[in-house]
Order: sequence, then structure tokens, then C-alpha cells
Amino acid sequence: MSDSLELRDVRKSYGKFVAVDGVSLVVPEGSIFGLLGPNGAGKTSTIRMIMDITPPDTGEILFFGRPRGPEDLRRVGYLPEERGLYRKMGVTDHLLFLGEIRGLKRRELVPRIEKWLERVDLAAWSKAKVEELSKGMQQKVQLIGTVLHEPDLLLLDEPFSGLDPINQELFKELLLDYRRQGKSVILSTHGMELAERMCDHICLISRGRVVLTGELGAIKRQMGGNSFRLVAEGDLDRLQSLPEIEHAVTQNGVVKLMLRPEAEGPEVLRQLVQFLRVHEFRSEEPELEQIFLKAVRDAA
Amino acid sequence: MRLDNIVIVAKREYLQRIRSKGFWIATLILPLFVAAATILPTLLLSKSRTEQRIVVVDTTGRVAPRLHEKRPEDGNHEARDQMARFEFLVEPPAKDRQAQRADLDRRVLAKEIGAWIWIDEDVLAGKPVEYHAKTVSNVVTQEVLSDDLSYVVRRVRFADAGLDPDRVGSLSASVKLETVRISKEGSRAEGGMAGAAFAYILFLLLYMVLVIWGQQVMQGVLEEKSSRIIEVVISSVKPFELLMGKLTGICLVGLTQFGIWMFTLATVSAPGVMASIAALPKDTKLPTITPVMALHFLLLFILGFFVFSTLYAAIGAAFNNLQEAQQVAGVVVFFLVIPVFLMIRIINDPSSTFAVVASLIPLFTPLLMTLRISLEMPPLWQILLAYALTLGFLIGMVWVCARIYRIGILMYGKKPTFQELWKWIRYA
Repeated sequence: MSDSLELRDVRKSYGKFVAVDGVSLVVPEGSIFGLLGPNGAGKTSTIRMIMDITPPDTGEILFFGRPRGPEDLRRVGYLPEERGLYRKMGVTDHLLFLGEIRGLKRRELVPRIEKWLERVDLAAWSKAKVEELSKGMQQKVQLIGTVLHEPDLLLLDEPFSGLDPINQELFKELLLDYRRQGKSVILSTHGMELAERMCDHICLISRGRVVLTGELGAIKRQMGGNSFRLVAEGDLDRLQSLPEIEHAVTQNGVVKLMLRPEAEGPEVLRQLVQFLRVHEFRSEEPELEQIFLKAVRDAA
Repeated sequence: MRLDNIVIVAKREYLQRIRSKGFWIATLILPLFVAAATILPTLLLSKSRTEQRIVVVDTTGRVAPRLHEKRPEDGNHEARDQMARFEFLVEPPAKDRQAQRADLDRRVLAKEIGAWIWIDEDVLAGKPVEYHAKTVSNVVTQEVLSDDLSYVVRRVRFADAGLDPDRVGSLSASVKLETVRISKEGSRAEGGMAGAAFAYILFLLLYMVLVIWGQQVMQGVLEEKSSRIIEVVISSVKPFELLMGKLTGICLVGLTQFGIWMFTLATVSAPGVMASIAALPKDTKLPTITPVMALHFLLLFILGFFVFSTLYAAIGAAFNNLQEAQQVAGVVVFFLVIPVFLMIRIINDPSSTFAVVASLIPLFTPLLMTLRISLEMPPLWQILLAYALTLGFLIGMVWVCARIYRIGILMYGKKPTFQELWKWIRYA
């Protein structure tokens, strides 16, 4: 099994500002790969270099195990964050155009487009102009345009932003379907919850640098030793002041605790019962969000 | 470079525009407007023709009887007849002139007659004829009436001076020019003013097409840039292919529009336009476009379109929004407007040194050479030289603009400075 994409020490600066500072990552074939990071971390800059929209200052980009050739980009389906569609074009015409520039013939495209529009529930809008569609519908058209030529690698920049839950599910289903076919998906997002549910590999970027990358399960196991779930009553604000606690996030009465590596669970519990009525305290895998927060803080 | 990509992009640009309602409205409104502007006045005029009953009181007794005489054909006869027709009722002067005048006024107010005129002895000595009517703002009617009276009064005066009115008429007939246009294909009679009018219309249409579609190119590039569709397209189509496809597609749209305009003007409104601009006698021969001329017009159109649209595309790519781009686009329009100012001088003397030099400047060639060819065919070497210069200029322009386009279209953020643009051109 070869890798769909590999970046080796890629750098890009704009004037004095270093947007991407030596990013290396590997996207294995058949994976959903999360490119994660806060706003302005360098995700979109990285994607633009992968798509040859801007050249990297230094570093190498490999597609399917070899240096990127001119035809490789045709095997990629790219969905930029902005809604990249011609507003005045009809939906079907637009999809035909996107298919034709990727070298497909009209007669193979027409049934494919029909099938896709049917699948995302847009068949009734096939003749409408793009500008007549709602934002979510436009996003669906854009997604079809991205997958229409059956690329071997999908590169989606914030694909779920602005989608309602129903359409989010639809998108997710499409991506999982894609993985089942042994193809790869790169998903750039700052939505951790979503990445956690979808991705099997991640790369976490902060300030242009990779702070964490690898298989999600392995990362969790590696980071997971000191994560605890706490249900308790009392002065929860005091949790932050305990030196053994790295950080604590309260959600719906459940506190997610991440302890310092050297801290011991039972010892921390002994301290907690002194000021809280503890109903539940148990070890668990950390959520990606916690890993993310910790990693970003450590990197800073 | 992949030709099939250029074709796909050009097809998209062409069909999207041709299918839009806006294109057809913009394209058809001009011929409709011209037709309305030329046909309506004539139509209104013929509807507004006055038929007036006029009582003529002639104290000389020598003018009124001759008002019914048929005038000899003089070319303006039909036009006069279209404007006003009179029924003259000659009545002798009564003893009590005050009472007669009062009675005539009453008959006008009672609408029995439209007006009355009073011709006194001293009219023959140059004094005016009195005209009494409810409205005196009907200048056209009065003009025709005055013309009719003048004709008769003049003849009476000639007779009084012992001259034969018919002989004086034929001796004092004015001289008209019959214009003959000389060209290599042979001389033929043609209305001079019609030739100028044709050149003028062709020139203005070409100017409009270049401005409108150049701006469309710029807006199209800006749309691709700001919607980031460019980022999706660029992985399959190289920037240069995209640029060429876009220009080719929109050039064909412009040609379609230009063709529709030429066709409709030639069939629907040309006679009206020519007539109204030049007030020609109706036997005037309209200028004809030979196949050679048409070929030159086509080549000049394509050259002109690509020269200006390449510039517009580079501007669209370099900036982030229409406002920013518009400021710089003004410079391009400036180069299109200069020929408009030179036009009149060139129409007057299309083969002057001034005209020749101006039409050889690449940015002016498309408009000015079209103007010159439509007026009189310039020597072939001048046309070929103009083509060579413009083509050379165009290649240089494409080289520069494609570089700005390639970098600018994928660049976001602040407005580039001229130093930055220069850097793009040098290092792209």
C-alpha cells in the first residue's frame, strides 16, 4: 500500500511572515486524514501548495509515491473553502463544464451528473442557475463537482461549514463511502468533534508547524494515560488551581480532566473529595479537542 | 498548451453569455432604438400633416389666383406636400375692411376655416403677408405657406420688372453635386454623406463593442478570482489556456453582437439612418461593403478585441474587486476614446499624413483603420503594416499580461503596487 500524498519539510513565507514552517506529513491510501489547526495556523496555505496554486519556497510534495507531475492534479478533487462556482450558470451545465475540463466526455458525464443530483436530492434543480440555489445547495453542487471525475484523492477545505445537520450527515456518508473504495480524503477543519468522528489519521498544525501527526487511535492511546471523566458537585472552579491538573473542561455537568503526565489518578481523587461531592471519577480516552488544546498550548 | 481546454473554456464563456437575457436585451435595444429614432419622427410628421382651409384676401388681385397653379418639380416638392396641404378660398376685399376682418376672425373661432391671410399692395414691395390663426406656433405649416406665397409673389415681381418668370427660374436654378467615389474596383456614384454616415456608424459600433466586452472580460476574471473557482479550474486548465479560452469565447460573443447589429442596421434601420443623417434625395446609392472590406473589418475587430481584452484581463487579475480595477481600467478606455476625437478629422481627409500615421499606432489601428477602410480603401502596404505593427504589439501585450494574469489571479489580499506588478512580469 503506497501513500496518496506526502509532504516533506514544506515551507512558505509571505514577506517576513512564515505561513508554513517545515510541514511534513503522510496521507496513507484509504484514509480520511484530518488537517487540523486553529484559524490562521497555515492549513489553507498548505492546501494551496498541495494544489500547486502557490509554489512552496522549499520542500517536496509527492503524489502517489513520486514527485508531483502535471497530470496528478487531475486525480485530485479539490473543494476550496469559498464557494467556487459560476453564479450565472445552470447546475447541470456547470457540472458538465467541470467534468469536461478534467477530460471526461459529455456522454459519460450526463448520467453521472443525474445520478449524483438524485443522490443529494437536487434533481429538481438541475436546470436552475447556481445563484438561485441556497448556500447549502450550492455547497452540494460544489461537492459533486469535486467528486465527479472520481478522483483518487479528495482535498476538502472546511467542507462542513454552513451545512445543516442533515446535509452534514449526507456529506459524511459520501466521505465514508469514498474511503470504502480505498481512496483517500484530506479534510481541513477546525471542528474537532467532527474530525474525531470521521478521521483515522490527523495532522495538527499550529503557527505553521506540525505539532502532532499520525494515526488517531495511536495518538489517543499515547496521550490517553492521564485523562479522566469526573461527575461532581461543588466548587468546580477550584479544579484549575490544582497543580496536578493540566486543564479541565466542563460540559453538561461532566468535567473532562487532563492530568500532568507525572500526576497519579488516585492521589488527585483524594484531593478532589476534600472540596467536591464526587459521584464518578474514571480514566478514559481523551477527546481530540483536549489533545488539540494541550498540543497547541505546549507548542506555544 | 492544450487546445481542447481552450475550446471547452471558450464554449462555456460563449454559451453562458449568449443564453442570458441580458445579452439579447442589450443587443436588440440598439437597433430598436435607432429604428425608433429614425422612423418615428417621419411617422409622426406624416401623421401631423396639416390640411388647412385658408381664406385669402388679396387686394392686389394678382397673387391669389396663381396660388392654385402647379409648381414645377424642384426636389423638395414631396417633402413640402408631406408637411402641409392648403385649401385656398379666395375672397374679394370688402368695402368695410374692419367688418370683414372681424367676420374672418369669427369664422376662425367657429372653426369654419383654419386661418386667413391678407395680401396688401406693399407685399410686392417686400412687406410681410398677415397670417391670422388661433395658433401661430405651427412653424412648419407657416414655412410651407411662406414658401408657396414667395414663389407666386416672386413671379409677379419678375413680370412687373419686365422679365419672363419661367426663364428667370431656369436661369437661377441652383447647382447640385453628384458625388462619385473612386476605388480600385471602379468608380460608382454614391452619396458622400451616406459614405461618411456609414463610416461613422461602423466606427461607433466597433467602439461600443470593444468597450462593453472588454469590461466583460475584466468582470469575468474578477468573478473567477473572487469566487475562487479559479482554484478548482486551475488544477485542470493552465492559466494561459484559461485566458485564451475566455478571450476567444467573449470575442465570439462580441462578433455575434456586432454581426446582429450590422445585419439589423442594414436591413431595418439603415435607410432611415442614412436619410436622417444626410437628408438625402431618395435615389442616393448606399455604400456597399465588398468581401475584401468585410474581411478587413473582421481581422481588425479580432485584433482590437484581443489587444484591449488582454489588458482588461490583466487588470481584472491584478486587483481584488471591481472598484479597484475600475480605476485602472479608465486608462484603457482613454486609449479607446482618443480615436473618437480624431475621427472627424479623418473622415474629412482619410488619406492625409495625419490619418495614415494615427491609423498605424497599434492601440488606435483597430478603430482608425476600420474608419479609413470604410471611407476609402487605403494602399495595401499601409493596411499590412498596420496589421504587422498591431500583431507585434499584441504578442508583446499577451506576453506581459499573461504573466500578470498568471500570478494575479491566484493572489489575494492587498492591492498590488506597480513595483509588485513589475516583479510579476519579470520573474513569472
